[in-house]
Amino acid sequence: MKNRILIVDDSFYMRTMLKNMLTDAGYEVVGEAANGQQALELATQTKPDLITLDVILPDNTGLDVLKGIRQEQPDVKVVMCSAVGQEVIVNEALESGATAYIVKPFSEEKVLEIVGSALQDSESAQS
Amino acid sequence: MKSREQEYREIFMAEALEYYDAMSRHISELERNPADEPALNELFRLMHNLKSNARAMGYTQIGEAAHHMETIFGLIRSKDMTFTGPVVTVLFDGIDTIGEMIRAVGADQEASDISFLLENLDRLVRGESPILEDTQEEEEANRKLELSDLVYIQIKKLDHLLNLVGELIIDRDRVLTLSQEIGNPALMAAAAHFSRIADDLQYSVMDARLVGVGSLFNKFPRVVRDVAAAEEKDVELTIVGEDIQIDRNILQIITDSLLHLVRNAIGHGLETPAERIAAGKTGQAHLTLSAQTERDDVLIQVIDDGRGIDVESVRRKAVERGLVAAETAATLDPDAVRSFLFEPGFSMAKQVTEISGRGVGLDVVKLAIDSLGGQLRVDSVMGQGTTFTLVLPTSIAVKGALLFVLDERNYAIPLMHTDSVVSLMPDDFHVVGGMLLARVQDENLPVVPLRRLLHNGDGPLAPASKAELNGRQDIIIVNYSNRKLGLIVDRFLRQQDIVIKPMSKPLDTIDLFGGVTLLGSGQVCLVLDVPALTRLFLARRP
Repeated sequence: MKNRILIVDDSFYMRTMLKNMLTDAGYEVVGEAANGQQALELATQTKPDLITLDVILPDNTGLDVLKGIRQEQPDVKVVMCSAVGQEVIVNEALESGATAYIVKPFSEEKVLEIVGSALQDSESAQS
Repeated sequence: MKSREQEYREIFMAEALEYYDAMSRHISELERNPADEPALNELFRLMHNLKSNARAMGYTQIGEAAHHMETIFGLIRSKDMTFTGPVVTVLFDGIDTIGEMIRAVGADQEASDISFLLENLDRLVRGESPILEDTQEEEEANRKLELSDLVYIQIKKLDHLLNLVGELIIDRDRVLTLSQEIGNPALMAAAAHFSRIADDLQYSVMDARLVGVGSLFNKFPRVVRDVAAAEEKDVELTIVGEDIQIDRNILQIITDSLLHLVRNAIGHGLETPAERIAAGKTGQAHLTLSAQTERDDVLIQVIDDGRGIDVESVRRKAVERGLVAAETAATLDPDAVRSFLFEPGFSMAKQVTEISGRGVGLDVVKLAIDSLGGQLRVDSVMGQGTTFTLVLPTSIAVKGALLFVLDERNYAIPLMHTDSVVSLMPDDFHVVGGMLLARVQDENLPVVPLRRLLHNGDGPLAPASKAELNGRQDIIIVNYSNRKLGLIVDRFLRQQDIVIKPMSKPLDTIDLFGGVTLLGSGQVCLVLDVPALTRLFLARRP
């Protein structure tokens, strides 16, 4: 079965790019959220296998969203998307339960590699 | 098909310009109130997004500038720097520079040198004073030597030019005819040359009136955001083909129509995130505004991936409304059924919502498009979405005409076929053999109320009677192949140069109208075809 992914990023450009990369690689993008509130709602509605989560969002910070999602869905994989210079937030995110992180600007290979290995962890953990 | 690079580039541009507008707004807010934290947070976030997007696109200059700016806003946010004095100046300058760079990318131009800005931002980070006065003054001085290749001109002036060209065209025709009557070879050669120049001038003026569709499209991200928020929908807008050129007044006329179609799409076409997910779609709905050229026409489309139009329910409703007999309705194909949506007062919305129930209906959109000599089409697949297509002329052409009012609507009649206008009292008319005659300048002319001629349908006109004439009658006497006919109208308006577009298929079969025109007021005006009217009168006279 296709792995189902929710994309959370406040930039339409970034969401489009991520969606294209992931869809081309055979993943199913089940939703796109542009802010923290949408992210939490869609995470509950769509129950994705993996969420790509932008660190900086308009309403909440990405960290708050991460914590919110973790409370409801401890098993979902969360890949944080950040830019150079946000190592502090990334570290905090990893401590708060993020599975992995990607640094922008990202290449297609890097995105697929990180998403792929994050999902593999879950499969091996489940089996 | 558009390449993915092009698509990314267009999305990048649309979003970057949006960010730039928002950043300009927020930095002004911050200047008024340096303690405005939401504004500061937004500046930081937008700058951050711009940086990431620009770097992903390979626009390193923009990425670099945005990165430096983001750093400074970060420092202000963490209270390591205050938004005062030279910092304000440099940041304002930075946002202006970023705006210029974004526009340069949009216009495929080289980005300007930003080392000066970066140097100043670096100085701020290091806690040094930025270099302000001297260099900037020098820059200002240099800038004064460069005049832009573009001038801004009021549309009023272009309208005036187009009107002058219209008059010139009329005189050109007169000069050509006169020169042929006189038969002087030198005069004929000069007239022919004059005629070519006049044509060239006409096309140049029309060309000068063309603008990019983007000037209208770029107002929509905001509209879509607001309407989507009010309707509690999650809608992503994509804009395609903003560089397509079209006459500015045509764009003006379709503004309301496009607004209506977009509101309609969000209000009725697109589902809520929950409904979409239940239907196996992405929670976020997609709306595309696209423009493309097709031969001499411009196609503008509003495409949604919503629930689509239920043809059977439209079919039922058309029968309920008495628009079509049930037996006939059953035989109509989906396209024919969907065209009922453009009938006056035909609304499929179960409930009238705040946003889309306001103002005009699809019938008004249809009328506006008809007025331009364009077409409105709708295609839809149940469950997959709906596409409205506006087929519009690129430009408009000029003619002299007499304007008049009939049943509260404006009509135009080309001067070429207008002999004279008279106002007569009922006593000036006679009825002979069921036909109304008027005595005008020693001639007995047949006269017919235009209203009856237009709405008569098949079969002969009912015999005329003087009883139907009430008070002073305004009559336009038209002349077609030496045959004169008086048309009674409600009221004369004025003589004016108008721009006429022929009606396109399938309306071109209604040959009583030679086209449509738009008045300066933006009102729609049908242009009567005198030859066809005359033929109709001859065929139907009692």
